[in-house]
Amino acid sequence: MKARTEEFNEIAQHEVKNEYARAFLGLLPPIIAMRRVQVMGSFPDPEKALALSQAIRAESVARLPELLEQFEKNAVEAGAKVLWARDGKEARDIIVNLARERGVSFVTKGKSMVTEEIGLNEVMKEAQIEPIETDLGEFIAQQLNRPPFHIVGPAINVPVEEIRDLFMKMGILKEDTTDPVQLGYAARLYLRDKFHHIKLGLTGINMAVAETGTIINVENEGNIRFNKSSPRTQVSIMTPEKVVPDMKDAMHLLRLLCRSCTGQKISAYVTMDTGPKKRGEIDGPEELFIVIVDNGRSIFYQDEKTREVLRCIRCGACLNTCPVYTKIGGYPYGFAYSGPMGQILNPLLLGFDRTADLYHACTLCGTCRSICPAGIDHPALFLYYRFREVEMDARFRPKRRPAKERLFFRIWHMANKKRARWDFSIKLSRVMMKKYEKEGWLSSMGQFFTGWFKERDFPAASRQTFREWWGQRKGR
Amino acid sequence: MKKVSLFVPCLVDVFAPSIGMAALELLKRSGATVIYHEEQTCCGQPALNAGYRDYALEAARRFITIFGDDEVIVSPAGSCVYTVKHHYPKLLMEESKWYTRALELSERIYELSQYLVDVAGVSEIGASYMGKITYHESCHILRGLGISAQPKKLLSAIEGAEVVPLFAAEICCGFGGEFAERYHYISEEMVKEKVNHFTNSGADLLVTCEPGCYLNIDGYLHRHKIEKKVLHIAQLLAGPEFQRV
Repeated sequence: MKARTEEFNEIAQHEVKNEYARAFLGLLPPIIAMRRVQVMGSFPDPEKALALSQAIRAESVARLPELLEQFEKNAVEAGAKVLWARDGKEARDIIVNLARERGVSFVTKGKSMVTEEIGLNEVMKEAQIEPIETDLGEFIAQQLNRPPFHIVGPAINVPVEEIRDLFMKMGILKEDTTDPVQLGYAARLYLRDKFHHIKLGLTGINMAVAETGTIINVENEGNIRFNKSSPRTQVSIMTPEKVVPDMKDAMHLLRLLCRSCTGQKISAYVTMDTGPKKRGEIDGPEELFIVIVDNGRSIFYQDEKTREVLRCIRCGACLNTCPVYTKIGGYPYGFAYSGPMGQILNPLLLGFDRTADLYHACTLCGTCRSICPAGIDHPALFLYYRFREVEMDARFRPKRRPAKERLFFRIWHMANKKRARWDFSIKLSRVMMKKYEKEGWLSSMGQFFTGWFKERDFPAASRQTFREWWGQRKGR
Repeated sequence: MKKVSLFVPCLVDVFAPSIGMAALELLKRSGATVIYHEEQTCCGQPALNAGYRDYALEAARRFITIFGDDEVIVSPAGSCVYTVKHHYPKLLMEESKWYTRALELSERIYELSQYLVDVAGVSEIGASYMGKITYHESCHILRGLGISAQPKKLLSAIEGAEVVPLFAAEICCGFGGEFAERYHYISEEMVKEKVNHFTNSGADLLVTCEPGCYLNIDGYLHRHKIEKKVLHIAQLLAGPEFQRV
């Protein structure tokens, strides 16, 4: 998909006033977050259960190269074909060619964020192969041509009337109704028909088990299972960090993934494939391709700090508790990944010059870190990105910070070194603030801090600082 | 008698010195001898959060030089304590001499309510307030330093006061330093929500341990002429004469 991360401010300012989306954001994410807390309580020791999943993710990432080789070996032994792609283009070419060679006119897709990341749908359309999203939310988002609003519920913000109008226009809804059950049924009939004729199904992967070569998918609608069990050819795509050491680890992560994602102990469907259909079996695809696309990850794997980003399991728990996401929704983040997850990942995928707002638009409140089942310290990463940005570390392609800001901190730095200079700066700013003061308050400071003063006042500088007061008191 | 060194954060020093005076008063009441290094300036948090690592590093070395020999350091600001306790060792990781000092220092610095309850063993400090109060769990206090029970203990001991719960007390008020300026349109929604929950709580006073939250919420109340009060915990505990800005 085309990234719009540069437009963060424009889109966010618009979305923050979007009353429909705000009403939804005020309701659903907190409910999911609450359910998560409740369902975590079903562990005998929730804190230790969380710590274990964090440890598993840390180990999986630390052993990534070795685990990938092991996974490939075992997946191939089970009959799968493993294809490696360096970047988005290679992955797109592989998938388009697989579809072309099999002469298909359409492919059905299970929800897969990595296909959004590499812009697969656009390229498939160009190649005259229609990609059909089969996750209900993703299906609606695709038809409306919108990016995902939430990783778990991509179209969860779309009003039901809009969905009715869309389905009427598509001719899949016969009678004028906003009954969600009827709407769901209409989509189901349409998609079932596609599944009947499916030749190639495309899915993402939640976990890849190195020990067994198994791929695991987690879902609630059953569409992924259709995509995996109905067609002759199954293509499943993942990024390298999806691999985990063994089945025991995968099962524990599964418990955390479902709890963190939707507040469920387990999702309605969990499917595991170890190779394609075997001799004597009656179900499953004849051939299974597993595409592993790197798309820059092996570069940020080299840096010990940014490596941490690869621990993410895309559960979306950080979105539901983020005080910023729950005000602006998913669109401002401008790419496949939104919320804190997107704020740490998108800058590495797209470059700092295009994503500076993502790692600055954060109060460092630390809620995301406190609940992350993968053990990611998001605020520490934001600080790391800001450090690299100020230092103009070319690896991350940063843009120089604004001259005004650099000057401000230069002056701050000079003043902070010596108490006399510090005191002098305070005296000076006190004089500057004086003309704006009214009854002990400031409602504006001219051209300074215009953002703050839009909806807030600030106390005027006290006539005496604490230090001055202390000095006087001491002298007495 | 314990010798306690008081660190007065820059925002408090300039815009709300009464918080510093109140903290001093409370430390004295708890039985401590209070020292104040007049050389102290800013801990470096603004530069750190904005990404100016080198400047923050220098601020860290300066802070350690000034406070390094103190037995105990106390500050009425969670985010500054968090900066010293959590970020200094990380920043100075590669300079072994400084790193050791930063680690040692991190063991001896406390947020005010934490010091009063956990170290000085104070549970009741002779404060009174007639009315309903509610407590905002500031991010760096709650999730940064793990402090929540201590201030609540002090509040529940206030004579005449009824402590009522605040819905979503643990959610950020939207301050975040530069965030409140650059992304003011998000920050405004956050503080508005916080104030709505405050109003709905039925309390007439909101208490916080963090000067940043205090300035943010108070600034919003004042602009919108909402007849509610917000105080730093030190101001409330020390008494009415410490409640002027």
